Amino acid sequence: MSKDILNSNFFELFELPVSYAVDLDQVRQQYMELQKQVHPDKFANASDQEKRLSMQQTSWVNEAQTTLKSPVLRATYLLKLKGIDFNLENETTMDAAFLMQQLEMRERLENIKQESDPLAVLDVMAKEIKISTKEMMESFSACYESDQIDDARELIRKLQFMQKASNEINALTADIEDELL
Amino acid sequence: MALIQIAEPGESTTAHQHRLAVGIDLGTTNSLVASVRSGEVSTLPDSDGNHLLPSIVHYAETDVHVGLSAQQYSVSDPLNTIISVKRLMGHGVEDVSIEDAHYSYVFAESESSVPKIKTRSGDVSAVQVSAEILKTLKKRAIETLGDEFEGAVITVPAYFDDAQRQATKDAAKLANIKVLRLLNEPTAAAVAYGLDTGNEGIIAVYDLGGGTFDISILRLNKGIFEVLATGGNSSLGGDDFDYEISQWIIAQSGITNADEPAVKRLLMQQARIAKESLAEKNSVEISINTDADSWLGTLDREQLTELLTPLVKKTLMSCRRALRDAEVENESINEVVMVGGSTRTLIVREMVAEFFECQPLTSINPDTVVATGAALQADVLVGNKPDDEMLLLDVIPLSLGIETMGGLVEKVIHRNTAIPVAKAQDFTTYKDGQTAMAVHVLQGDRELVTDCRSLARFELRGFPPQVAGAARIRVTFQVDADGLLIVSAREENSGVEASVDVKPSYGLSDNEIENMLRDSMEHAEDDMHARSLREQQVEADRVLEALDSALATDGEQLLSQQELDQIKTVQQVLVDVKNDADIAKIEQSIKQLEKACEDYVARRMNSNIKSAMQGHLIEEYSSDAMSKEEES
Repeated sequence: MSKDILNSNFFELFELPVSYAVDLDQVRQQYMELQKQVHPDKFANASDQEKRLSMQQTSWVNEAQTTLKSPVLRATYLLKLKGIDFNLENETTMDAAFLMQQLEMRERLENIKQESDPLAVLDVMAKEIKISTKEMMESFSACYESDQIDDARELIRKLQFMQKASNEINALTADIEDELL
Repeated sequence: MALIQIAEPGESTTAHQHRLAVGIDLGTTNSLVASVRSGEVSTLPDSDGNHLLPSIVHYAETDVHVGLSAQQYSVSDPLNTIISVKRLMGHGVEDVSIEDAHYSYVFAESESSVPKIKTRSGDVSAVQVSAEILKTLKKRAIETLGDEFEGAVITVPAYFDDAQRQATKDAAKLANIKVLRLLNEPTAAAVAYGLDTGNEGIIAVYDLGGGTFDISILRLNKGIFEVLATGGNSSLGGDDFDYEISQWIIAQSGITNADEPAVKRLLMQQARIAKESLAEKNSVEISINTDADSWLGTLDREQLTELLTPLVKKTLMSCRRALRDAEVENESINEVVMVGGSTRTLIVREMVAEFFECQPLTSINPDTVVATGAALQADVLVGNKPDDEMLLLDVIPLSLGIETMGGLVEKVIHRNTAIPVAKAQDFTTYKDGQTAMAVHVLQGDRELVTDCRSLARFELRGFPPQVAGAARIRVTFQVDADGLLIVSAREENSGVEASVDVKPSYGLSDNEIENMLRDSMEHAEDDMHARSLREQQVEADRVLEALDSALATDGEQLLSQQELDQIKTVQQVLVDVKNDADIAKIEQSIKQLEKACEDYVARRMNSNIKSAMQGHLIEEYSSDAMSKEEES
């Protein structure tokens, strides 16, 4: 059958098994192969219709790559493929202990500039987040494979928190580094 | 309509003809045009052998001068001699005050959202001034190449936002140049560097020009130039260095008439000369003679370092952010390529070397490398290298978002996302019976609307009244390969659709562009007609050739006899009309043929992708072909 890009799911498109664990090297290689086929530069002399199609296909390939590379988006997408509507914006965890932990972290970040070595503190926090993210990803994978959907959902909610915290740490680090430069 | 050229070598029905295309570097200080001729890329000189065209436009009593001939008026007739106009591109009336302090323009009161500079030839916008520069380069290219060229790749700073990109495209339209692609300057430089050295791996391109700064981190691999992240500042460059130096001169000399346009220009000019000399010497004498004052002083490297360090630091902050966005460690950078005239300044080289902990590459010509890269891409885009592996994958420099409640911006597409990209976002109504909705599109990475750049506002009207929260309005942001945004919106329950090209807030309206075009074309209407006719005929030939070649390759496999006959009938119509002098008729016939081929094109695209994606086993192909034959 012909490969219809716009109607392929991201895993089919990148020739990957539908699973949470993805081979990022494969994603990259396949990304390049796809780009060579669909990128608008390959259709600079083509009809408007082909140009439009190429733009849509490339957009789809780009979105697929972004999704497959991101722990949160990939997880959400897997649930979506199972027919579970999961809107990141409307979902929030109710795990009180986890929320408390997040709150404490937020407070620490807010007052980071009062630390004697804020960059070092941020560095430690970033590493902690990386470790717990990895654990959550493994748990998600297990829940997903064994069809424990409610648990999987909860893990995505938490992963989302981790990602936001990580972004915030990055932004703060950048700010402080700028001041030091 | 090229119908995907997959003809085998020697099988093509089209004679391989070299198509002319150029790359244009439209710079703040200098502009260049380059082209690939007999396989060699080079920048094109004017009749006196000058390759760099100073980006200066002088409005004289009777005509317009561009380049060196305009430069001589920079100090003597400052108000009619426009320099560094690139810094005004895509800017609104309220954000030009800084530029005014630098360059002494007089802005006209104007109804337009775009600032207009007062000159003796009337009020001109930055787009019009840029178009004059482009026209000069176009003329130069036609003279050197001996014929019209088909199109141009025009470079823009990677950090240019949508309004600035759109303004550049408008300028090209005004100069009657077909834009094949807007290409980011650091990406263009990477192409020239990569093809020249054959090096692969991760590189950083540090591009500091006259008025803009870009940093791009790219991965080079087998002809693919993948931008991992980009950052920068679209109003920071050598001009700001000159301004700092000029302020120092004012403070040292106590010159009293520094506000006069001619004196401002003189100071900037002397500052620039001093800066350039300090790349070679340890200290330089500066002498300023105005009607009111005169001064003689010395500027040394140490003082220059002190003056410029804060500005160079700003560029390094952008570098750090780009590295972070690219998720690349400093150690993984194989090479730092220096581009742009301002990287000749010693302190820039030193601080960049210290930051990246390596000696940056300064051996390539920082002035010409961008135009060279653009010409190389133009050559590929125009179809001269059908088998070429070269592919440029770029990103959007600044996040795109929409205004939400409370003056906040909700990001829809994040910066450094690979383009083209499309994102849909759903909204709903907050009042019962609401039948319209306003969408405010912004670009930038800050949280507040007031800190981001307003790109456009548009309204979606006419959807049926529903209770609050019931409507589902899906807004789609599509960013194309030029980094330009197209927004469309649709109410999902009723299907009401609205589409806007993002242009307004700081752009020229279509009407304004049209009027400018009409003005500039008034006397050249006949030429225009002849040219458009020829263009349409060339296009018709191209479509016909492409279709013949496609049909010869796989027409019988992909089409039923009936479909084939249908296409051939419409094709014959085009063959019949293409030699008439009726442009509209030819255009219409081309469109009809394209329409008739729509399904066929889609099928070819899919089957092409399929075969390319399946790995290239020759056995597979041949057995496939055989089974097809047996069937038929």
